Amino acid sequence: MSTINLKLPLKEEDVRSLHVGDVVTLTGRIFTARDMGHLKIRELYQAGKPLPKDFEGAAVFHAGPVCLKNEDGSWRLNVIGPTTSIRMEPHADLVGKLGVRAVLGKGGMAEDTLRACAEYGYVYLQAAPGCAAKLGQGITSINDVTWFELGMPEALWDLNAVEFGPLVVGMDTHGNSIYKTLRENATRIMNEIYPE
Amino acid sequence: MNIEVSKAALHDACLRAVTEISADVKGLLQAALDRETNDTAKSMLSSMLDNLRIAKEQDKAVCQSPGYPTTWISFGDGNFPAFAHDTIAEALGEATRKGYLRPSIVDPLTRHNPGNNTGEGVPNIEYQYHPGQPYVDYIISFKGCGAELGNAMKIFTTATLKLDKDFEGLKRFVLETVINAGGKPCPPFGIGIGIGGQMDIASKLSREAISTRKWDDENPDPLLNRLEKELLTNINKMGLGAAGTGGDTVCLALKIAKAATHTAIAPVAINFHCWVARRAGIRVWDDGRVETIL
Repeated sequence: MSTINLKLPLKEEDVRSLHVGDVVTLTGRIFTARDMGHLKIRELYQAGKPLPKDFEGAAVFHAGPVCLKNEDGSWRLNVIGPTTSIRMEPHADLVGKLGVRAVLGKGGMAEDTLRACAEYGYVYLQAAPGCAAKLGQGITSINDVTWFELGMPEALWDLNAVEFGPLVVGMDTHGNSIYKTLRENATRIMNEIYPE
Repeated sequence: MNIEVSKAALHDACLRAVTEISADVKGLLQAALDRETNDTAKSMLSSMLDNLRIAKEQDKAVCQSPGYPTTWISFGDGNFPAFAHDTIAEALGEATRKGYLRPSIVDPLTRHNPGNNTGEGVPNIEYQYHPGQPYVDYIISFKGCGAELGNAMKIFTTATLKLDKDFEGLKRFVLETVINAGGKPCPPFGIGIGIGGQMDIASKLSREAISTRKWDDENPDPLLNRLEKELLTNINKMGLGAAGTGGDTVCLALKIAKAATHTAIAPVAINFHCWVARRAGIRVWDDGRVETIL
């Protein structure tokens, strides 16, 4: 398998050329956001207020890192890994409208996201689950943190990444989802083993 | 019982549990990689084994999520460890300050995060009394919570179990639950199944089965042992694979525990455990000896 190294911010054509099963790494700024972060972004977006980051071409990582505070008040990353993405499924259109080009996480997402991937032009990238020490090696520094009052996991962290990955394209802009295909295949096998 | 010896051993076990996974699970991961035929799954399994090595070498947390801490304590006569709750809470606070545990325990409604991985009911402890036991066993387990998103529970009846068809109703429920969970519980996962009691008992048994047993052990009950093996084989036949992106091994181990129930019902709880099996077990004898049991 050859690995494609993508530079952030991503262009629409970068992600439209990807297909499920491709392996990529990311270099540039990555933003974390999970349940509470998405809710905050939605609130601001709907009120027409400015967002804390420019999401055009961005990679949004479903993750809550472990960070340690330096004596000068800045932060350093200890480890980071993906959280379960399906919780963010209700925000499928929102991230598309923001111009996000890559959503990173684990476990895959569902129909609304698959439709939004094609409509707005973004991909879902699967990171290896539970590999926080290894994945942390791809983050070189922390730019800043927004909404720290939500707690360390729920805050929005702005990270510098160098060849962060490997990440597998789990859902592409062409209507394909590894998760959907596997699920249909698994259901067929289950029906053969234990018929209803 | 020497309280200071017990406190120190329990503290060390808590810290061991957050920086490595148990040896039985590591062995099963390596075996899964050795027989894997899918390239993506091979890459995912290799990343997992690399991750364990890096975490160990760099003295870092294995996973960013500390999960939820439960400790099983079994005690005998005159050795009840009244100090255990505070010792565990202090160890969690220390591990949080040192960056081994991300502060992740919050109020379920307000989502307030006190920042030290403790709160109402946390750390959770399950006490078990065994008359005459001359030692205290402690098993501390941090179970990830993405895995919880795949869990399921159902109150079966004799008819829906399909008792006449070798429990096919139960077996289908297990496979359906695995398909619905997909990649959410950080595969290759373990599965604990609790059968019997009422809803609360089946659920507790499901967590205890997968959190306290070695993942490569054999169930001494012949029926449960047969069901465990059959379900494990058939779950892996479905092709979901490590990370849920396809492959030969989505499930490393499946453990069943049962308790008597009422003649009208058969409660079944299915509990996923991510591959990051962070746990540690120690036995502290009343004469002060300390053994590692997990």
